[in-house]
Amino acid sequence: MPVTKILTAGIGEANLRDIGVYRERGGYTQWERAVRELRPSDVLDLAEKSGLRGRGGAGFPTGKKWSFLPSDKHPRYLVCNCDEAEPGTFKDHMLLEEAPHLVLEGMLLGAYGIACHHAFIYIRGEFKRGYEIFSAALEEARRAGLFGRNIFGTDYDLEITVQRGAGAYICGEETGLINSLEGKRGEPRLKPPFPAVEGLYGMPTVVNNVETLAYLVPILERGAEWFSSVGTERSKGYKVVSVSGHVRDPGNYEVPLGTSVREIIELAGGLRPGRTLRAVQPGGGSSACIFEEHLDWPYDYESMTKAGSMLGSGAFVVFDDTTDFVNAAYNLVRFFAHESCGQCTPCREGGSWMERVLERLVHHRGIPGDYEMLLRVSGSITGLNLCALGDSIEPFLKSVMVRFPDAFRSRIAEAVAR
Amino acid sequence: MSDKDFAALLERLRPEFAELIAQYEHKRSALLPMMHAFQQHQGYVSLDAMSAAAEMLEMTPAEVEGVVSFYTLLYRRPVGKYMLQVCRGLACTINGAEDIMAYFREKLGVGHLQTTPDGTFSYEEVECLAACDRATCMQVNLEFIYDLTPQKIDEMLDAIRAGTYAVAPMAQTREPGPTWATVPDSEIAKGRKSPGAVAVESPNNPGGLGDASGTIMLDHLITRDVYLFGRTTERAVVDSRAVVETIDERADRAGH
Ligand SMILES: Cc1cc2nc3c(=O)[nH]c(=O)nc-3n(C[C@H](O)[C@H](O)[C@H](O)COP(=O)(O)O)c2cc1C
Ligand code: SF4
Ligand code: FES
Repeated sequence: MPVTKILTAGIGEANLRDIGVYRERGGYTQWERAVRELRPSDVLDLAEKSGLRGRGGAGFPTGKKWSFLPSDKHPRYLVCNCDEAEPGTFKDHMLLEEAPHLVLEGMLLGAYGIACHHAFIYIRGEFKRGYEIFSAALEEARRAGLFGRNIFGTDYDLEITVQRGAGAYICGEETGLINSLEGKRGEPRLKPPFPAVEGLYGMPTVVNNVETLAYLVPILERGAEWFSSVGTERSKGYKVVSVSGHVRDPGNYEVPLGTSVREIIELAGGLRPGRTLRAVQPGGGSSACIFEEHLDWPYDYESMTKAGSMLGSGAFVVFDDTTDFVNAAYNLVRFFAHESCGQCTPCREGGSWMERVLERLVHHRGIPGDYEMLLRVSGSITGLNLCALGDSIEPFLKSVMVRFPDAFRSRIAEAVAR
Repeated sequence: MSDKDFAALLERLRPEFAELIAQYEHKRSALLPMMHAFQQHQGYVSLDAMSAAAEMLEMTPAEVEGVVSFYTLLYRRPVGKYMLQVCRGLACTINGAEDIMAYFREKLGVGHLQTTPDGTFSYEEVECLAACDRATCMQVNLEFIYDLTPQKIDEMLDAIRAGTYAVAPMAQTREPGPTWATVPDSEIAKGRKSPGAVAVESPNNPGGLGDASGTIMLDHLITRDVYLFGRTTERAVVDSRAVVETIDERADRAGH
């Protein structure tokens, strides 16, 4: 099956970092058309009609999110979330470095769609190169008069600010991000109020993922129907899937939503010779695994949820029969324990204690009852936290413990026998 | 860096900072970019830097340090000239990251969060770097290096030692200690343990690897009913009223 190239078009072929090259390929024409010919509400309509859903993890319908902004509270802000740190996800990193003008044009359209005059992009601290590339692109665009005061001679003003993070996964959570942007610790806020009502500096704020905003560009160019005609009933359009793990050609593959799990594995070159599939984690480190029986399922929001997992950020990690799932579970639980901001006791304590229990299993020093306790503790902390990080510890762990109980129990039996 | 040098640096950075601060509706948003700038010049975020920022942003030094300590890429103690950050994420791990990390530790003679005695290398094992398609990977002073092999590592370390490496060293204005982490495990390991904890890796870890007391306690706490009302997930809080009602209902049932 052929690879789709919408956002990924030209990457690896042309130097899209150069504004001249980007414009030759039609870049910024949608931006100009929007400002000159469309009203912000037209852009919002297009976003809504296209069926575009958030590509950052939660899959929330984009147009709907924008429509929650109260009309009487100003200023309002757009924040582009480029803090990409969900384990297994590497699409925003690629877009930022390889197609910075596309990311910027998406941001401009998003900002216009919600009619705000100041937009931010929050770039993960580790992406120093990406930050430099994007900042250079922004300067080119500024010099070309693409944003600033009286854009294209209209009375629309828009300023863009680039912010660099400093190493904290939790700053990807939208309210943690807002706190970080305000110069505070990146600790998530209690919701409600949601950012749409009370976000940055207490004002209405939309936080959207890089990929979500970037899709606005082709949607404006080709129309909402073009986008919504692809995909499945509740998952419209295309998605950049970050495929990694035990495949021959890991990388970013753009596919129509609803492409089967098997096809995605095949796009990435399939498994290594002589290996068999054990599991796929279809939505980043926070998602549960799916297994062979799901190979022919469509990869879309609703099917992944039905399979007991989620589409999440579109990180697709493939595990073959060489995988040690006890070590894998330890790895991810350690990640969440390390990245917990510590505000909520269940997340902070539960995560770090589960890490310790799993660590002793990895070292073949499990104690009878550890298996049951891990399931009980992980299940109990879920739902008691301020943000979704605390609820993300259970899914992978539980899915592999239930599927491969012997892998876990044997680490206890061996320990007891010794 | 002497007081005089710091004062000069601050004067040099002031115009840049003024521009930065003017970008935001609230001054305080300039804190992280200012810390990045100081670190770029000093190699770490010094107490002087934090006090200076506090003054400019109308915060207290304690508030500034409270923020800075949240972020792992801001170092509050001096580090080596080359920060080697190797990915320990899952996609890298199933592609051999554990061997790569062991190779690094052996070659450098230091472990996670430690700096070599000559002050050249700091070594850290970090979470997924969003480059899983090029596993195993790392960053050297935040520049990505992909598809690591022992040979590539040898060449890199040799070139850094010879001063011919493509990535520039970080500023180093003070000699680094053995670690820049807040609670130096290495210090703890040097005999500052209570006799009861000798077999335990870290005093922060009451039971260590073989002990279950902490989890038994946690398990006990969470299985008690009273902790089960008031569940508020990001997903469930779609409608605030619904959540408040559920909490009330549950509280009623629990007799509150
Ligand atoms: C712990 C945590 C980390 C997150 N990290 C990211 C991230 O790195 N990038 C991102 O776009 N969204 C991330 N999200 C999701 C955001 O909270 C938010 O839903 C998203 O940015 C909204 O954009 P979208 O509607 O375009 O998807 C994270 C959420 C949680 C709970
Ligand atoms: S769930 Fe964890 S990461 Fe999220 S706010 Fe609570 S303690 Fe912080
Ligand atoms: S796991 Fe190493 S880059 Fe993602």
